[in-house]
Amino acid sequence: MQQSISQSINEILYGLGYLLPELALTALFIIVIITGLFTGKRADKVTGIVSFTGLLIAGYFTAGQLTTESTVSLFGGMIALSRLAVYLKLILLLCGMLFLLFTQINAELQQHKKGLSDLYAIVIATLLGMNFMAMTANLLMLYLSVEMVSVGSYLMVGYVSSNTRQSEAAIKYALFGAVCSAVMLYGISLLYSFTGTLVLDNEFIANLRVTPQLGASLAVLLVLAGIGFKLSFVPLHFWTPDIYEGASTPVTAFLSTAGKVAAFGVVIRFLLAFSPRHGFLIVDFQQLLSIIAIITMIIGNFAAIWQDNIKRMLAYSSIGHTGFIMMALIAFSDASAKAMIFYLFVYTLMNMAAFMLADYIEQKTGTLKISEYKGFGKKLPLAFCALVIVLLSLIGFPATAGFIAKVLVFSSALELYNFSGSVLLLILMAMGALTTVVSLFYYFKIPLFAYLKKPDAEPVIFSLPKNAAFGLYISAGLALLLVVFGLFPQLVNGWVELTIR
Amino acid sequence: MILSVLTFLPLLSALLIVLLPTAWQQRYKYITLLTTLVQVIISIYIYLNFADNQAGVTREQGFQFVEHRSWIGLDLGSLGRLQIDYFMGLDGLSMPFMLLTSVIMFVAALSSWEITRNLKGYFALFLLLDTAVIGVFGALDFFLFYIFYELMLLPLYFLIGMWGGVRREYAAIKFFLYTLFGSVFMLLVMIGLYFSVNDPVTGNHTFNILQMMNPNNYTDGALFSQIANQQLFGIPARLLAFIILFIAFAIKVPIVPLHTWLPDAHVEAPTPVSIILAGILLKVGGYGIMRICFGIFPDAAIHSAWWLGLIGVVSILYGALNALAQTDLKRLIAYSSVSHMGFVLLGVASVTAEGASGAMMQMVSHGFLSAMLFFLVGVLYNRVHNREIANFRGLALIMPQYTVFIMIAFFASLGLPGFSAFIAEVFSLIGAFNSQSINGLLPRWMAVGGSVGILLGAAYFLWTLQRMFFGQTRLWGGEEWRTQLTDVSVREKLALVPMAALALVLGVFPSLVFDKINTSVLEFVNHVLNK
Repeated sequence: MQQSISQSINEILYGLGYLLPELALTALFIIVIITGLFTGKRADKVTGIVSFTGLLIAGYFTAGQLTTESTVSLFGGMIALSRLAVYLKLILLLCGMLFLLFTQINAELQQHKKGLSDLYAIVIATLLGMNFMAMTANLLMLYLSVEMVSVGSYLMVGYVSSNTRQSEAAIKYALFGAVCSAVMLYGISLLYSFTGTLVLDNEFIANLRVTPQLGASLAVLLVLAGIGFKLSFVPLHFWTPDIYEGASTPVTAFLSTAGKVAAFGVVIRFLLAFSPRHGFLIVDFQQLLSIIAIITMIIGNFAAIWQDNIKRMLAYSSIGHTGFIMMALIAFSDASAKAMIFYLFVYTLMNMAAFMLADYIEQKTGTLKISEYKGFGKKLPLAFCALVIVLLSLIGFPATAGFIAKVLVFSSALELYNFSGSVLLLILMAMGALTTVVSLFYYFKIPLFAYLKKPDAEPVIFSLPKNAAFGLYISAGLALLLVVFGLFPQLVNGWVELTIR
Repeated sequence: MILSVLTFLPLLSALLIVLLPTAWQQRYKYITLLTTLVQVIISIYIYLNFADNQAGVTREQGFQFVEHRSWIGLDLGSLGRLQIDYFMGLDGLSMPFMLLTSVIMFVAALSSWEITRNLKGYFALFLLLDTAVIGVFGALDFFLFYIFYELMLLPLYFLIGMWGGVRREYAAIKFFLYTLFGSVFMLLVMIGLYFSVNDPVTGNHTFNILQMMNPNNYTDGALFSQIANQQLFGIPARLLAFIILFIAFAIKVPIVPLHTWLPDAHVEAPTPVSIILAGILLKVGGYGIMRICFGIFPDAAIHSAWWLGLIGVVSILYGALNALAQTDLKRLIAYSSVSHMGFVLLGVASVTAEGASGAMMQMVSHGFLSAMLFFLVGVLYNRVHNREIANFRGLALIMPQYTVFIMIAFFASLGLPGFSAFIAEVFSLIGAFNSQSINGLLPRWMAVGGSVGILLGAAYFLWTLQRMFFGQTRLWGGEEWRTQLTDVSVREKLALVPMAALALVLGVFPSLVFDKINTSVLEFVNHVLNK
């Protein structure tokens, strides 16, 4: 007894050494709350600076974990720290930092009477949950981390409920989210009762193998549905456009990037248990996910055509991107993991930049409607020039990083095709190519209206405080980075060295 | 080095224009003109120093002005290393296009005097387009080729969309969607090829187009290996890949029935962009078919030659018949382009030395002639903002010099002996005619069908000439038009004279082109026929 207690204490102490970034985030969470309470009027600025520094420190610790060679199992199999998770955590922290910068330039949040310090604390807690999502190795941990992120997200979406639309978005999100976590929890409880364990290991699979196929598949599907809500693949996507439109723009940008990155992290951890190494597939994931990915790409991209609100359009396009990234998930190899990291990193840059520019343009012109962008191309040359570059990257146009990302994903899918020869994969790739053409159509509505259409009246431009221009320079910098990484992708890819396990 | 200078000089000028203050916007066009002039000088230098006894096509040693550096090296884990090279070089199949592009760009720059709005954007995009086009003809790495190929679309979209006519938005997006549709599938084939081909020296996969041409470099059992003979959707993989690539390039050429973007784009585009479109961009399609489709998939090309020939004949006849029916002068010339580019396809599909030479010659000749025709339409349109054929009559009396240029352009285009188009079309038809006895690919009636196209060409050009230029002067716009319709200015002559001269010189001395390309064309034909 005593032996086992001291053993587990030792294990925990050992494990804490690997948890420095998360400990830093926890400490930061508390510090931000306290500083927020005591700094009064200057709370926004101070907590902003504190949070940013804190995230940098957490990033420093996370980067230190890049030295871990193979996956480390911690806390009795609750957490598995793989290199893949470390990269995902770095991308998550990048999302967090960009979000902090974004809040500084968003007028709606800046003028918000509640102040920003609480929002910063929530974001940090959400990031903490996301970190755990990327590292989870246990069903209970999976549920806890997903819930932690969910609660944080609900709060963020509802943070500025200045009108009914925003309140509606927040309550919708919370309701859908609650249903999906209930479904997932049900699936987890089934899995637990089938296997007698919550750890996603060989024993779990071995036990699941002897349970009736139907029950096991159902349970796995239920868990996937819960994760699918976070990933917002079809048919669990319907909440996205409303919430993306209703939430304030920085929050939307954060949830549509960091939320996706973390969800892909957790889905990889979950699928790893079922990967062919264990020689057993309960559900044919490749087929199931291929079909989901195809439908997701089609619905996401085609629905985006009819959107006029740029935030809604970006919401649907993010669904399309989810479908595309799932191609790398389906390939499930070391190469595809690399491709996915590259894609997610690039996606973070371009999505954040797109939302920042949309926000900047909204503040300058007072509209989010693409059809009202007429004539603004010449009035706001830098903003629209950067936006066009970002959109090109989202399309996957050559000489931008988005192109390299697509090439890498296609490559990993083709590798799998060479191996398996499945027709479904060919259709998947063809659909990936076809929806790229479709995406051109809606992304290019923006330059179409901004540059090509003649305005009915002289466009009106509002003058803005200095910090808004700061946002413009950040997003222009991001656009420039997209071109640089498109021409020299080794600048990013050279750093990434990983296996999917 | 010289090839990089030629390619990226316009890009540098574009950056310069972006950085210069808008107050200097009247000087942008001189910067552009100077840039294109330097390009012309460089390409003349290349032409003069081009050794015509080196074949190129399949072997890197045969290429000239080669630049080969490693560019992107990505470690892909289990997939090995993604090796992309900056690999540029010229052989007989690409060198003529360097000269053509430079001259056409120079003419287009001269014609850009008509642009008055938003000059900074216009000239920056113009020069970006210049870089992309030169890059396409020089690139020998498929990845590099693809980047330049796609990069052409972007400036064109804005050039047509922002400085075009009434329906410019429709024309611009239609053009963009058509071409992108072709090229995203090309991307898939490109990646597939990449994983099928190994560089014999390094053992890595490679995007090198020349390595892709050698069947020995394909991995055993790879998707596009000739020996493995894999199937995709029940079609042989190599044939499917050939078809996909062919469609991608055929959209550019354009062939019937993928041509519908062309009349719209031409009519809506401003004159300089029309010149570039007809003069150079259509040739990118023909060049791609020769270098990429036929070069990498010769087996599938032989297999489909009959169909390609048929498409060529259909394009010739359909384009000509459509041209006959047009009432807008610019649309007429756009359709005549479809017809003339059909000869290129017919010549290439015959896989004979005559046919391939004729196709190359036709591309060069049509490059100059169509640019000249569009320039001439632009001259008329600039003066009265109208180009309905029925609205003009007896122009010869008030614009005699203009009429001379029009007559040169029309007679040269319809294939009058002594002009370049005659040589080109005759060679294409000889190739198509001989194909049956030499390699049995094309039946003789295709050559006959093609020659009917020449007849139709004569009909629509001469009829237009008669309607618009002869007889008593009667103008829809009355006296006002009569004063506006001044004869060609010095600047316009500066652009027109070289093109007219080239059409004549190449007609009298076709060896100026044939000598330079002959070795490469023979090598190309032998490669495709696997001799």
